[in-house]
Amino acid sequence: MNRTDEQAFTEFALASRTRLRRTAYLLGGDWDRARDHVQEALVRVYVRWPKLQKQGGELAYARRAVASVVIDESRRRSSRELPADPDLDRPSTEDVAAAVTDRAALMAALAGLPPRQRACVVLRYFEELDVRETAATLGCSEGTVKSQTSRALTSLRSAFESSSRDELVFDVMGRQ
Amino acid sequence: MVNDLVDLMRDSADDAPPDDVDVAAVVTTARRRVRRRRGAVGAVALATAAVVTAGALTWGGPGTGTDGPVAGNPPRPDAPVLRLADAEAAVAGRDYDELTSYTNEDLDADNGQYLDGVTDDGLVLFQDGPREANGRTTTYALMDPATGEKDWLPDPGIGQAQVWPAQLGRDRLVLLGLDESDISDDGMEADLLAYVFDRDARMWSTTSWRDLPRVEHALGDVGPDGRLYVTTPDTRGAIPEGGWPTGPDGDAEDADAEGDTYRLWSVSLTDPTDVRDEQLVVGDVAFTETAMVWTDSSNGDAGRVHVRDLASDEVTDFDPDTGERCNLLNLGAVGDRIVMSQYCGTYAEGERDDRVQILSTDGDQVVTIQDSDAVGWLPRGSDVVNLTVHTDDGDAGTYVYDLRTDRFLRLSDTLSSWSVGGSTGEPNQFFWSTPVNGGKGATQHLAALRD
Repeated sequence: MNRTDEQAFTEFALASRTRLRRTAYLLGGDWDRARDHVQEALVRVYVRWPKLQKQGGELAYARRAVASVVIDESRRRSSRELPADPDLDRPSTEDVAAAVTDRAALMAALAGLPPRQRACVVLRYFEELDVRETAATLGCSEGTVKSQTSRALTSLRSAFESSSRDELVFDVMGRQ
Repeated sequence: MVNDLVDLMRDSADDAPPDDVDVAAVVTTARRRVRRRRGAVGAVALATAAVVTAGALTWGGPGTGTDGPVAGNPPRPDAPVLRLADAEAAVAGRDYDELTSYTNEDLDADNGQYLDGVTDDGLVLFQDGPREANGRTTTYALMDPATGEKDWLPDPGIGQAQVWPAQLGRDRLVLLGLDESDISDDGMEADLLAYVFDRDARMWSTTSWRDLPRVEHALGDVGPDGRLYVTTPDTRGAIPEGGWPTGPDGDAEDADAEGDTYRLWSVSLTDPTDVRDEQLVVGDVAFTETAMVWTDSSNGDAGRVHVRDLASDEVTDFDPDTGERCNLLNLGAVGDRIVMSQYCGTYAEGERDDRVQILSTDGDQVVTIQDSDAVGWLPRGSDVVNLTVHTDDGDAGTYVYDLRTDRFLRLSDTLSSWSVGGSTGEPNQFFWSTPVNGGKGATQHLAALRD
């Protein structure tokens, strides 16, 4: 990579790392892993940088790289680890008591979603991508995004109801 | 009471520990990954001619018809040539004087403070942030390089947006950014915004131009006539069917690319209704005090170089005689010199053909600095060509080529991951940076070449 490109990449990485890390956190639920995921994603962005600059869409590619890294990691983890995330269909009193804040409840509920459903929710509601953009980011069809999002929202609402939290609302008309 | 999903996610994500994404480590790892790819292919190419063909075929993507790395050595340009090894080690106090420096010890922990450029009256534009410690907003000061004393300017209202200095004058500072509230559907273009600081009134204002099409980058040149010249996308070089030739891990080889073209516009920095279509399709553009210089295209084959005398409007053009596989990376001009940085392909053993070609405005070949990973650029208004080199073979570091005296100097043998840029107030000044704290931080230097 030439100097001009590398300077542009560095500026991009500095400017986007905080935002990407937050997305990675919501996708993976762990700040330390979010850092590692973003670093790996940025390495992938660097390798592609000259082409990305030629074609545009650096942030979109970086976001896609983060989602890909997180989903790949979750697949690897699920193949070698026993699930440690709470089973939200059958929340125990202890689980609910531990989730003392609504934010904690949300993170617990997100942790109960399959990776792609979780990614759909984060990209649609946190990154505010539309269906087409989300599909492009995840490399799937728009129909898949709609169905995965719908299932995810149903699970999240159910999790909040089951854990006696206040109702979880979302702008269905605007985003679904 | 209800919980809004969007609010909950934002609240959860806002509750972040200090940012510890290590961008320096990213750059280091990524450079290694790219080099490893090129090295692996080069090793194949080294074995025998037959294997070279196999290696090249491995790189060639389906249906590309474009070569990847090729056998042999990079061709020599038809011009006087310098190699990196020809540079003389620069000595502070003999070859240059350091005017000021600034060190960020740990840019991994948080964004930092930077020397952004030098005003025409010799003050350094000092940028702070955006960092966690200053509320994630960007503020500026004008710093006296002799004393380090800073005159902090009012908040420009930039927030976390990225902006680039376009003019650092005695009367005003002009920073360019993009209006992120109105980005095109594909995310590639946005309206241009200028943040203008009136130094007498000590007030910031923003200017945008309704009649100016969206731009790709917040970049522009203020011409000798005081107008801001910007380019908007016109045509994009075609990517070969099936993509660029790539190695096993996807590293692209796009030497000999078809370039991109842009339409040239000029705008008034004080009148948002004053927008002029210059009726010119260009690649890269640069200005001297008396001429406008442009190429047919950029990010690929440069085509011809055109020089317009701004006094007479007379235009001359010539073939810069770049190599057959050269992509123009950037263009600069000062006085009667033109500087073109090019990537011209990758050869056996991963050796890159990188060039910094220096010509006269009449088209005469002055000198070409040719070596693997040598990338240069000429800051606006400067006589000092800056080169940075990333290699593992001992050539890494920062170099300068003085257009006034034709001296070629090596400033350092280490290179920071944190690049610096910006124009300088005097033609003999230049910036460079060196790593500190194991590469986590960097020291920026501002220096002036001695005659």
